[in-house]
Amino acid sequence: MDKLLLIDDEPDILRVLSMSLKADGYDVVTAANGTEGVAAFEKETPDIVITDIKMPGMDGIEVLKKIKALNADTEVIIITGHGDIENAIEALKHGASDFINKPVRDEALSIALSRAREKFDIRQQLKEYTTDLERKVAEATREVRRRSNFQINLIRSSNDGIVATDRDLKIVIYNPTARQIFGYSPAETINKMKADDLFPGQLVADLQAALNGKNNIKNLAWKEMTIICKDGAQIPVRSSSTILLEGDRPVGTVAFFQDLREIKRLEKELLNSERLAAVGQTVAGLAHGIKNILHGLKGGSYLVDIGIQKDESEKLKKGWDMIKRNIGRTSNLVMDLLSYSKTREPEFEACLPNQIAEDVCTLVADKARENKVKLIRDFDASIGEVLLDPNSVHEILLNLMTNAVDACLFDEDTSKNFQVGLKTGHEKDNVIQFEISDNGLGMDEAVVKKLFTSFFSTKGHRGTGLGLMVTRKLIEEHNGSIDVSSQPGKGTTFSVRIPYNLSNKGN
Amino acid sequence: MSKKVLVVDDDPDVRLFSVTVLEENGYTPLEAEDGESGLKKIKAEKPDLVILDVLMPRQSGVRLYRELKTSKALKDVKIIILSGIAKKTFMRSQKALTEFGGAEIPEPEIYLEKPVEPDELADVIKKVLG
Repeated sequence: MDKLLLIDDEPDILRVLSMSLKADGYDVVTAANGTEGVAAFEKETPDIVITDIKMPGMDGIEVLKKIKALNADTEVIIITGHGDIENAIEALKHGASDFINKPVRDEALSIALSRAREKFDIRQQLKEYTTDLERKVAEATREVRRRSNFQINLIRSSNDGIVATDRDLKIVIYNPTARQIFGYSPAETINKMKADDLFPGQLVADLQAALNGKNNIKNLAWKEMTIICKDGAQIPVRSSSTILLEGDRPVGTVAFFQDLREIKRLEKELLNSERLAAVGQTVAGLAHGIKNILHGLKGGSYLVDIGIQKDESEKLKKGWDMIKRNIGRTSNLVMDLLSYSKTREPEFEACLPNQIAEDVCTLVADKARENKVKLIRDFDASIGEVLLDPNSVHEILLNLMTNAVDACLFDEDTSKNFQVGLKTGHEKDNVIQFEISDNGLGMDEAVVKKLFTSFFSTKGHRGTGLGLMVTRKLIEEHNGSIDVSSQPGKGTTFSVRIPYNLSNKGN
Repeated sequence: MSKKVLVVDDDPDVRLFSVTVLEENGYTPLEAEDGESGLKKIKAEKPDLVILDVLMPRQSGVRLYRELKTSKALKDVKIIILSGIAKKTFMRSQKALTEFGGAEIPEPEIYLEKPVEPDELADVIKKVLG
């Protein structure tokens, strides 16, 4: 039953109205003046209040203000004297919901009450809806926050370096592992740097192509690459990336990076121990080589002896040449063996790769000319001064160029116009490429397979079988790579890729 | 007429050494630089003795020795092996080839390991050729 407070200073009206309202089913509380009315309101908390406007002491307007202050939702109906417009407007200003003129007719009262009831109910409902909505929003917000915190934690604690960008390749996510790899702080990168500032050029190009929907590629598979970190050092990493989509629309990229420094170090250690094992295992092969040299020395001294005995200068000369040749073979073998079994960190210094290539060409020029082999230099003039180990590169190129000239020299097809080429090129991501090619005798697949293994030589007694092993080791120490392609009778091409540093820190 | 001795070795220094020993001791030296051309020279020149190396490009000494010993016409050509490879290793290769379906072949009468003294080589040649 609805509770209703009726305030009027005239006891008769109070009595008649209260009877009539009770008859309509209301639970009526009465008060004979404003002060009593406010006290009753506080005690009974009715939803609806009907108050006379003109009362001694606290009048109807004052009662209205107090009640609205106590509970703004309360519907207050004001009973005014006939034509008392001024007071009615004043009451309206303070939030009265309706007016009834005196004398109060039952019909008017009933309409006013049902309207007030309706308004009150609508307001209550609205309030419930609002509260409910607010509660639901708060709940949803908590859930979203919980999930997003979970994802942030996931990204933050990942062992992979994670770098996400927006559609314009601007960096928006950069986790602590990424910081360890790249060296830049999040403040330097997030919203400040673009993928170009951080990633290798090829990766940026691939991401850009994928964002543009080229070939419908959405994922870039795991691939090894070298990144350049804040202090300029090169760091080997493994990386994969994904295009982030909203529906079908690309909105950004995320790239994952794994630091391979530790793995590379272990690989290097393993390679080292394998190399030492290879040297050990092939002591037998080595002994064979030394026996042959000794035999040559003995033979030489025998010829010299005969030359002296018989005073034959020709025998003397032949014997002496034989001794010198075998001294040379000893020295080659020992030098190769030494440089092969010893580990050496590259010593980076500023140098001109084209100048190294030119020096090597000059060194082999005499041998090439004597054997009618044409040397073809093709140097990329855009290569300037870079940081790499010039001694390593010199040795690598000299080994390969000597081999290339030998490949022409040993070719029995003398109808060929023999030529050996040395080409230099500048690749993206700080790599210098050297290509050493010849049109000499070439090699079949079986020989190519054995090329970099120990003591294998196609040059018979002329080679130590260590040259290419040493070459490969020098290239690996420099984090580079070597590839070979060859066709019997057509020639051979070696491609060497040497990464260079931008600063002296090394890696 | 002096006896013909063929030296088969890919190393010119070894050939020069053996050839000089032969000349000094009154033999007629012939030379071949691998197993293939060695076999041709043996067939063409019918030498009294072959001084054979083991590790050579194109047909190795292991193969040439086997061909000579299994050939009716050539099985009596006298052979001295002169190699940096140990006799044990040479015979292991021969055994492997026999097991692989080849004929049983005799061990070489004379097997010299490099380096060899000139006098030693001369003595052995003298002994073999009688």
